[in-house]
Amino acid sequence: MDWHQQYIGKVKQAVFHTHKTGRKRVVASTEQNIIATLDLRRGEIFWRHVLGPNDVVDGIDIALGKYVITLSSGGSILRAWNLPDGQMVWESSLHGPKHSKPLLLTRNLIIEKDNVLIVFSNGRLNAVSCIDGEVLWKKDFEEESLEVQQVIQPPGSGFIYVVGFAASSQFEMYKINAKNGELLKHESTAFSGRFTGEVSLVSSETVVALDSTGSILLTISFHNGKISSQQTPVSNLLEDSPGLAVIIHPSVTGIFAIKTDAATIFIRVIGEGKLEVVEKTNHETVVSDALSISEGQQAFALVQHAGSSIHLTVKPAHDWDSNLLKESIKMDQQRGFVHKVFINNYIRTDRSHGFRALIVMEDHSLLLLQQGAIVWSREDGLASIIDVTTSELPVEKAGVSVAKVELNLFEWLKGHVLKLKGTLMLATPEDIAAIQHMRLKSSEKSKMTRDHNGFRKLLIALTRAGKLFALHTGDGRIVWSHLLQSLHKSESCRQPIVLNLYQWLVPHHHALDENPSVLVVGRCGPSSDALGVLSLVDSYTGKEFSSLSLVHSVAQVIPLPYTDSTEQRLHLLIDADKHAHLYPKTPEAIDSFQSEFSNVYWYSVDDDNGIIKGYALKTKCSSNVADEFCFDSRELWSIVLPSESEKIITTATRKLNEAVHTQAKLIADQDVMYKYISSNLLFVATVAPKASGEIGSVTPEESWLVVYLIDTVTGRVLHRMTHHGSQGPVQAVLSENWVVYHYFNLRAHRYEMSVIEIYDQSRADNKDVWKLVVGNHNLTSPVSSYSRAEVITKSQSYFFTHSLKAIAVTLTVKGITSKQLLIGTIGDQVLALDKRFLDPRRSVNPTQAEREEGIIPLTDSLPIIPQSYITHSLRVEGLQSIITVAAKLESTTLVFAHGLDLFFTHYAPSRTYDSLTEDFSYALLLITIVALVAAIFVTWILSQRKELQDRWR
Amino acid sequence: MAFSCKNSSKFNGFSSCIKMVMVGTSAIMMQQRTLAMEASLCVKKSKKKGADSVTRPNSQISAAMAAVTPLLLLLLLSSAPSFSSGSRNAYNINGRVKIPQGLGLGTKGYALPGRMSNVKVLLNGGQNITFLRPDGYFSFHNIPAGTHLIEVSAIGYFFSPVRVDVSARNPGKVQAALTENRKGLSELVLEPLREEQYYEIREPFSIMSLLKSPMGLMVGFMLAVAFLMPKLVENMDPEEMRRAQEEMRSQGVPSLSSLLPGGARN
Repeated sequence: MDWHQQYIGKVKQAVFHTHKTGRKRVVASTEQNIIATLDLRRGEIFWRHVLGPNDVVDGIDIALGKYVITLSSGGSILRAWNLPDGQMVWESSLHGPKHSKPLLLTRNLIIEKDNVLIVFSNGRLNAVSCIDGEVLWKKDFEEESLEVQQVIQPPGSGFIYVVGFAASSQFEMYKINAKNGELLKHESTAFSGRFTGEVSLVSSETVVALDSTGSILLTISFHNGKISSQQTPVSNLLEDSPGLAVIIHPSVTGIFAIKTDAATIFIRVIGEGKLEVVEKTNHETVVSDALSISEGQQAFALVQHAGSSIHLTVKPAHDWDSNLLKESIKMDQQRGFVHKVFINNYIRTDRSHGFRALIVMEDHSLLLLQQGAIVWSREDGLASIIDVTTSELPVEKAGVSVAKVELNLFEWLKGHVLKLKGTLMLATPEDIAAIQHMRLKSSEKSKMTRDHNGFRKLLIALTRAGKLFALHTGDGRIVWSHLLQSLHKSESCRQPIVLNLYQWLVPHHHALDENPSVLVVGRCGPSSDALGVLSLVDSYTGKEFSSLSLVHSVAQVIPLPYTDSTEQRLHLLIDADKHAHLYPKTPEAIDSFQSEFSNVYWYSVDDDNGIIKGYALKTKCSSNVADEFCFDSRELWSIVLPSESEKIITTATRKLNEAVHTQAKLIADQDVMYKYISSNLLFVATVAPKASGEIGSVTPEESWLVVYLIDTVTGRVLHRMTHHGSQGPVQAVLSENWVVYHYFNLRAHRYEMSVIEIYDQSRADNKDVWKLVVGNHNLTSPVSSYSRAEVITKSQSYFFTHSLKAIAVTLTVKGITSKQLLIGTIGDQVLALDKRFLDPRRSVNPTQAEREEGIIPLTDSLPIIPQSYITHSLRVEGLQSIITVAAKLESTTLVFAHGLDLFFTHYAPSRTYDSLTEDFSYALLLITIVALVAAIFVTWILSQRKELQDRWR
Repeated sequence: MAFSCKNSSKFNGFSSCIKMVMVGTSAIMMQQRTLAMEASLCVKKSKKKGADSVTRPNSQISAAMAAVTPLLLLLLLSSAPSFSSGSRNAYNINGRVKIPQGLGLGTKGYALPGRMSNVKVLLNGGQNITFLRPDGYFSFHNIPAGTHLIEVSAIGYFFSPVRVDVSARNPGKVQAALTENRKGLSELVLEPLREEQYYEIREPFSIMSLLKSPMGLMVGFMLAVAFLMPKLVENMDPEEMRRAQEEMRSQGVPSLSSLLPGGARN
């Protein structure tokens, strides 16, 4: 019923561990700050650890053949993990005088029988013991302007070179004794130009650098502690002027590569600073690091794209023209370009070298290539989902006969006998296997058609890499995936960013035969005034059938509750200049929009300045370009929060598709309260600017939390409340007429959750029966934001143990089922908490009537019942958000939690009162019926016999 | 409360630890006590050692502790916050997470294995995350002075968040208290308050449970009445029978069952 998928994210660095016999592994660090080891045969995760958000992994390596070493947090934390099980073995904190580029070096350096790691971080060179993480010696480099670029340990020697730039025009070289950190020699040379920063190491005593204009290559060698250098203009090597060049540095002996706009150029260093171009390619080329395959021999891999396949070439470092391996592999176009490649070798049975390559693609997926084929692939793009929407599956066609699906009677009976055995615990292991197999085979849940209960849907997920995935809710498999071409890096769009996903077309009675489609909104560049990009994708096939490069920016997207005749939903895009643009651009859309023109309101929240503004549409755009789909807006209201005392940290609104069953709420003494239900309610939480930092940075006296409930049409503040001595982060959810939010109480030093319920007082006087009879009531008057509603609010606060990562509320199709909160805790679990625990009418001693109504006696903290973790013993690592979707069955809500992992389940807040559960024992029911019938017969016969005997008497 | 505590308070901390862990008999308790004495002596000794090697005080102590007994690896200095060289107002918080062995594996075989490698320690709602060493120790580096919150995330166990005050005025002094029950900690040794069972145990199918259910009882009773009653009636004295029938007729209550011992309840 539920599924869980684990991902690691986009791999940054990978190290193979294949020397020993036993399981072959690959250790990887990713951009999501994860360290993981994967099975090299199947790609499964052995173990993985998610480091903190600021604990960026700088380097990984394997030491002693059994420890994974990671350097993180800008070089200040060095950890060793046990390779087989991922247990942390030791942790060292490395500090230094200043911040610098972290460098990790683990070439088998042995000092007095101790394996040593050389780490350069924070301006200090440390030698750390592999066994227990103890710092053996350290050497500070305190010169203010020194930027250390490389730490080199020539193999077999007892010293270390530290090379770098001082004041970006002076080359510095330090020779350090590896045994004790003693400075042996220090040399420096000044250059006329400035350095760009990156250097490439071409041998253990030669580096290549580019100057800041990107046009002169410097070859610097420091053989025996003497610095000698040679300058070569790039234009000497290439006939045509290449423009700005960048060094890409494969650490291959004797060869380096520079990359210009048009081409990648491989250059070999011959002798004393002589350079020679060995190859120039115009294809997108990715180079791996060097791998030493036998004594003194190195190899490296090149990956190039050619149409729908990629070419993997492995070359020895000393001889460019020969190839150790040349393979061509068909590659799915939807994976985009290759971003990274890592290689590893193995010895074939005929003692020749075989190579396997791990490649990271543009969509963040990870693939292992071996012998010209893809051995396994991982869709790690799913570790960074940005937005999710759902789509219904197609209706089952009449042509598909049901009989084929159903088994024949004998098999059906056999199946039930097996199931019965299973329930009675008589089943043998083979039987159990057979039952499992049958369950899987006959499972309705993974069909590609709509089901009666609405459990089967497609989850459309948009990932950061700009790829759309459609996941089947039944088993979580990927139905299709599509790399959006319109959001691809191109001349016109250099830095595409995907933003959101909206439902564009939901088939309804007008357009039942159409496939549903989704709208992807993106923009070209990180700033909010970059031009927008729209793309329309078919939800069934994953084909991008239309895309638009907009001439305006996208600041906000408002899906309107109107559709045109082909059921395309109207969307209003607000640009950075507060113009509104209507999509789709059809005359019909504008016609239907004109009639609702005056009813469109929206708001914007400016976090930085603390301003909330409301807008309405004014006229057609007054700009010189005639565009009838563009509208000017006017500002209706604005709320300016005092910036010295309040800073907006969270806002929350109601879900657009939420259904509310009834406005009235019956309370214990036969009284009625009317919920104030408005879809224009906005919850805003602000904190003292000082307290917007982390927990513990302020005293309770100087921190406060203020919450507002604002009507976004009129800008009226319906409710305002201050929590003194509290601070963020605030997680909030708004549903029906209540809002629940979570924050930190500094006085008690605990987390708290508060609830605010808002009731409409203007309808409260409808209790008089006579008024109802006479018709003198306002029950049928519409709820409108224009009318000034009299509202009352009730609120209450409770302690809650855990920090929160996400909060959501269950959603059912009609809103009859009672609500539960779904809380994503800091431990990456999802906890279901009944809304009744967050009821402001709770009191310490509820009356008998209140108890009957279901009011729970007040306690100061909310209970955490382990059985109500809907993730059970699973973790949704890196939990980001929880999405709830209503099934067609009123009792059930579909819950999808995503972060690094994906988790999906069905959840029934009030149990499945409208259907039999999956484990309902039909067999027992049958047995009971049969037994009863048999009993009737037996007793009937017995009674007849008795009667006969009585007559004979 | 304070970590630089006296001997007596240390001993108190010890016995309370034992109370939490041990559910055994009093005999075992006694044994524990004596061991506890030994252990506290050991602590005193190693504390001195810990003072001079500030950066890594734990390994030596744990080695010393290992000599005592693995069962009683309870307590330990920890949280000797130390200056990190260079930055003046950054401190280290050292502590220990202890998952008692008896809790996880015990009678309940389905309890989840609380693997130490999957335990995370989080500072201030995930701002810093650290992991446990094999002996359960953890440390946060470069923490500014102030009040912090430490949470432990371990599948299968419920840990209370811990409030930790790192004092700037008085370096080396750290105070800790459980926020759930406001209990002060003399050492930063975090133990689960309780185990968490994420699964409800499904009742296995059995004839007895079927019979014990209300339906089963009703059926059983009806069967008893149907089959035993005629027998009882048969064994009655015919005289008495007649008398009873007459009595009944006179009362006008035509119920045979009211006469019988079981029937009155019906």
